[in-house]
Amino acid sequence: MADDEEPVSARREFLKSSAGALGLGWLGLHWPSTTAAAQHAQAMTAAPVKSFSFLTAEQARDVEAMAAQIVPSGATPGATEAGVVYFIDHVHAGLFAPRAVEFRARLEEFAREFARGHPGRHFADLDWDAQTAYLRSIEATPFFAAMREYTVMGLLSLPSYDGNREKLGWKLIGFEDRHIWEPPFGHYDRDYPGFVPYDDKPSGSSSSQT
Amino acid sequence: MNARTFKPGETVDFVVVGSGAAGGVLARELAQSGFDVVVMEQGPRFTAADFRHDELDYWFNGALLNSLTDSPQTFRRTPNDAATPARDVPAAIYARMVGGSSNHFTANYWRFHEVDFDERSRLGAIPGTAFADWPIDYAELEPYYTRAEWEVGVSGLAGASPFDPPRSKPYPMPPLPVKSSGVLLERGARKLGLHPFPAPMAIASQPYRGRPACGHCGFCIGYGCEMLAKSSTLYTMIPEAEATGRCEVRASSYVFRIDMDDRGRAAGVSYFDRERREQRQKARAVIVAANGAESARLLLTSATPKFPDGLANSGGMVGKHLMFNVYSEVHALFEHPLNEFKSAQVTRIVHDFYDADPKRGYYGGGGLDGRIGPAPLGWAMWAPPPERRWGPSFKSLLEAFPRAMIVATHSTSLPLEQNSVSLDPSLKDAWGMPAIRVTYRDHPDDLAMGRFLQERGVEVMQAAGALDVWKGAQVEATASPHLLGTCRMGNDPATSVVDRFHRSHDVRNLFVCDGSSFVTSGRGQPTLTIQALAFRAADHIARFARRGEI
Repeated sequence: MADDEEPVSARREFLKSSAGALGLGWLGLHWPSTTAAAQHAQAMTAAPVKSFSFLTAEQARDVEAMAAQIVPSGATPGATEAGVVYFIDHVHAGLFAPRAVEFRARLEEFAREFARGHPGRHFADLDWDAQTAYLRSIEATPFFAAMREYTVMGLLSLPSYDGNREKLGWKLIGFEDRHIWEPPFGHYDRDYPGFVPYDDKPSGSSSSQT
Repeated sequence: MNARTFKPGETVDFVVVGSGAAGGVLARELAQSGFDVVVMEQGPRFTAADFRHDELDYWFNGALLNSLTDSPQTFRRTPNDAATPARDVPAAIYARMVGGSSNHFTANYWRFHEVDFDERSRLGAIPGTAFADWPIDYAELEPYYTRAEWEVGVSGLAGASPFDPPRSKPYPMPPLPVKSSGVLLERGARKLGLHPFPAPMAIASQPYRGRPACGHCGFCIGYGCEMLAKSSTLYTMIPEAEATGRCEVRASSYVFRIDMDDRGRAAGVSYFDRERREQRQKARAVIVAANGAESARLLLTSATPKFPDGLANSGGMVGKHLMFNVYSEVHALFEHPLNEFKSAQVTRIVHDFYDADPKRGYYGGGGLDGRIGPAPLGWAMWAPPPERRWGPSFKSLLEAFPRAMIVATHSTSLPLEQNSVSLDPSLKDAWGMPAIRVTYRDHPDDLAMGRFLQERGVEVMQAAGALDVWKGAQVEATASPHLLGTCRMGNDPATSVVDRFHRSHDVRNLFVCDGSSFVTSGRGQPTLTIQALAFRAADHIARFARRGEI
């Protein structure tokens, strides 16, 4: 067991230096409440330039628009600010490379289906409400299930997968990744008086009876 | 570490196939009893420093699991259906690594009750099922439950549950600190006249035998413990086995056949080493503890002319009676933050519905606990009700995550002969061995019991003052990490695979001990019982060996 002492204590040292995260309250106060469109424009221009290695530029626009529908921007950041589209692109060239062929085929099928009803246009070209309506119409498809799954992953997985930028997804949901926590953990365990034992065998149960 | 390395060609006393909950215990007990033991483990050996808080890789990419890429599986609901390849998640799930699934388990460690062992006698037969008594009763297993709790390290409060079976010793450590989910489960349950109590958990609540106490990081369910606080065999039984100087744990060694001699005795095992070269290890006895899916598969792939249907399978029972336990969820939101992503999953449980009650109109029993499940990603993925799965309503639900909890229900699965692990007739794994084929369909009583417990979970959350409560979807199981019953114990070779001492009816020096030994499913949380069985089996096997009865 002595071999294991070192990593544990090293980890503890590392943990001591990790500061508390800013909560939702902070976000609510400081996040400018602008329209979704303005958010989108801001994020697109402010985002670090990253190339796409899996998605085409047109697919990336559609994917980003769909992710924004799934977790919209607004008073607090959404999928766009968290860089979900970059996650979806990079993960299919990395961890989920085995799923890349299938996802690409679904994306292409989605674009074909869309073009049939909207010749010459892309999903991202629709206005917000039309996008919402279109997604409602394909809500039950495996493609939409995959889009939702990848959006949630891009929002809440480790930032090293290129989504959850600046941990915006974790801040949104109120999660903080730490190695050490101490009680009380939440509101309801703060004043817990301790476990009170039961006097006798409960009468309402069927215990030991057949 | 003075772990032994045996020379090629050396014959050891025991080969133990599998290093998980059962294999780790068997190796440690037999090595401490003075026997030479080689433990064969398919997966790699990790240390605490290797484990990460990477929900994407662990929960959506199977980082610790048996990989479908190398080890494909097929699934079908009934023997009349065509089996199709399992996608994304194996049907039979386990952690493939030294320590096995005791690394990634949630560490719920309640004991089975007396009824679990003799319920068939109490309730009578259930037509269409293989419902049966165990060949041992609770009293016989009790000393080994106690041993498991102390040797492995369990935190809990003895006597807290009025439903608990008798015990000879308290827990070695006090319960973990209660979480808000525990307080709320307890508050609601007590209001309804139920008897919630502190959950027994195989997680150190205080320093224990050289391991530190839990750091409450919250990454238990599906993760290896980075703090050594979870009482996985990787941190407990395995190093203690090696410390005897009589045990070698051979990682990345995939046993594909139990070798038989011409007298019909096991002579050792054949395995693929990490370079996929075929190797052999000779042994005086073989103990299979590879989990309820792999143990059955190994017996089946070890067929010989004398045993054409596989070893220990003269009764045709190997692989049959697979039981998953039924699991369901109730979701609740409260007014204030619970922050359930912190600390161990479960701190309070309810056993008021443990026993079957004929008045319900169906067989079954189970328990409730308070928790959050994998989070934050898993919660966001699976918790939302259908109408809040995307858009502004989804986002507002995400923002409520700190105020959320889950009541999880755990309950019985009836043993059905058609629910099984078998060899897929055509699909092979990356080593050319037949793939696992899982056939599984929940019995209607099992689903009814799950629904009953969900209703009780809803009531408990409402009584606790939840602002919003909804039920998780109940779907028929297609996958599980609970792999029980496939080499069941029994006195009759026609209806069981091993005897009351885990010795196979057909081969005198071949033993099987893990979740496959179960005759009934319990109400979930099988690992402590797997380990109690392993302590007991090791005790008897060591005695047989000393007396030359192997």
